[in-house]
Amino acid sequence: MTTQPPVRLNMANVTIGFNQEEPLIECVDLEIRAGEIVGLTGRSGIGKTTLLRTAAGLVRPLSGSVECCCTADTRAEKGAIGLIPQRLGLVQHQTVGYNVLMGALAEANLLQTALSLPSKKMREETRSVIEEVGLADKTMESVNRLSGGQQRRVAIARAMLQEPDLLLADECLGELDAETARGIIELFQHMAKDHNMAILIVDHNPVRAKTFCDRVYQLRGRRLIPFEEEQSSPALPVIGEASA
Amino acid sequence: MNDRFSNTIRQIIRRPILRKLILLGIITVIVTNHLQITIWKLLDGWNNLQKLGSEAFPPDFTVLTERAGWTHPPCTFESDVLCSPAVVGMTQTLEIAFLSTVFGMLLSLPLAAMAASNLSPYWLSQSVRQLLAAMRVLPSLIWALIFVIVVGIGPLAGVLAMTMYTVGYLGKLQYEALEGVSKEPLEVARAMGLPRWQVARFFAIPEASNALISQALFMFEYNVRHGSVIGLVGAGGIGWYMNHYLSPFQLYDKVLALIIVMFVVVVIIDQISLSIRQRFMDGETHPQRARWRDIIPFFKIREVRN
Repeated sequence: MTTQPPVRLNMANVTIGFNQEEPLIECVDLEIRAGEIVGLTGRSGIGKTTLLRTAAGLVRPLSGSVECCCTADTRAEKGAIGLIPQRLGLVQHQTVGYNVLMGALAEANLLQTALSLPSKKMREETRSVIEEVGLADKTMESVNRLSGGQQRRVAIARAMLQEPDLLLADECLGELDAETARGIIELFQHMAKDHNMAILIVDHNPVRAKTFCDRVYQLRGRRLIPFEEEQSSPALPVIGEASA
Repeated sequence: MNDRFSNTIRQIIRRPILRKLILLGIITVIVTNHLQITIWKLLDGWNNLQKLGSEAFPPDFTVLTERAGWTHPPCTFESDVLCSPAVVGMTQTLEIAFLSTVFGMLLSLPLAAMAASNLSPYWLSQSVRQLLAAMRVLPSLIWALIFVIVVGIGPLAGVLAMTMYTVGYLGKLQYEALEGVSKEPLEVARAMGLPRWQVARFFAIPEASNALISQALFMFEYNVRHGSVIGLVGAGGIGWYMNHYLSPFQLYDKVLALIIVMFVVVVIIDQISLSIRQRFMDGETHPQRARWRDIIPFFKIREVRN
């Protein structure tokens, strides 16, 4: 008998929004297990980002329960949740190295953070994840000087260093060419498989999401429903088409 | 005739700008009368100004060359110029401005992080804002008077007075800059479960670093200008030397020379500070983080030599 991977996010009968009378999304039932990549699609302004922020514990659900990383509370333990927002949340004017090192903050002790002195292990791990995302020559470069694709790699490297149980990524693939998007998808797959991370990723392109996600959900009419291809119209270009 | 007059009045009433101007004029006349300001007093003042001008011109620049044995603290240099009232006074003013900016910045930054509504709970941010507002209520001159009473005449009173004012003033500028940072890096930190102080220290403050450095430089400029005033109540700096010449001797030519020296130094510092601040300001031309080595020529010289 095989044991199932642990549940990293469990949303049960959750109502999401800012106003009890006019919720954005109702009756959300979503379970994500370690090693899974789950896609979330839907039109702009429907509440995808708010759902992600609710899962991250940044927005309180109007009703229902959100269990993050084995704790029956929206506040998960330190470092258990990683977030890559739509505009990546990088600290501007700081270097790639600084931004990636922020991923190690959850593990750092009080003395290290108070004196801003990362341990040798932290520095080595930072260097290694920067190499993994292919930005070794940009370590001391300011993030403002990088391209959109490179900035996404920095945000992913930060999440890799953090090694959260649950990674929430908001439209990480938007406005990228097919080749760059494929590179980033490979990084997500590597994180899910090798680091046993559960990943919830928002993607505007449901057909592309189908190609790399284990499951894809769609937000439609205030409900979260499994995505089926015939519902989507018109079909958006599948990843790899452009480069083929 | 009556018709023409009433027509004019009607036109005035119809035009809101004219109505407001007339109201402003009436208030100005009432306030001037209340303060008993008359044209005769102004004419008397003109006579005094002529007398002052004749005594002050030409300015006596011996304040730059003659050694003053009464400097506080005593000057130990051999050179007369280095121990002249202008050089000693201006140096003290710059030193007071520097120390009060450094101490003020160190104290105001944590307070500003506590006052920023995006970094602190409501109760804390509101109480720290009130504290900073209270520190700003008293101008630096009144703080100087208080500290002269507490620690006695001299630059220490000046440093303490300017530090208090700097904390209040710079703290407000800083918490506004911190509140203006992008919310996304802060949400990344919060999702990670980091405590508030780490969110401020590693995400908000670095994000706002350019604005914070620019504000600190502006505050140094401001402190140099105001550092000359606090000397008038005994808190050190060039103002103290001006006061020495003003009472009881009324040596206006020496005071004018000191004012000219101060003016020149303040203009030079303003220009240097402005050019440095421009390098730290956000904009299309300087999207990257400005580094001190890009600004201070000394670093460039060293790099060339290496």
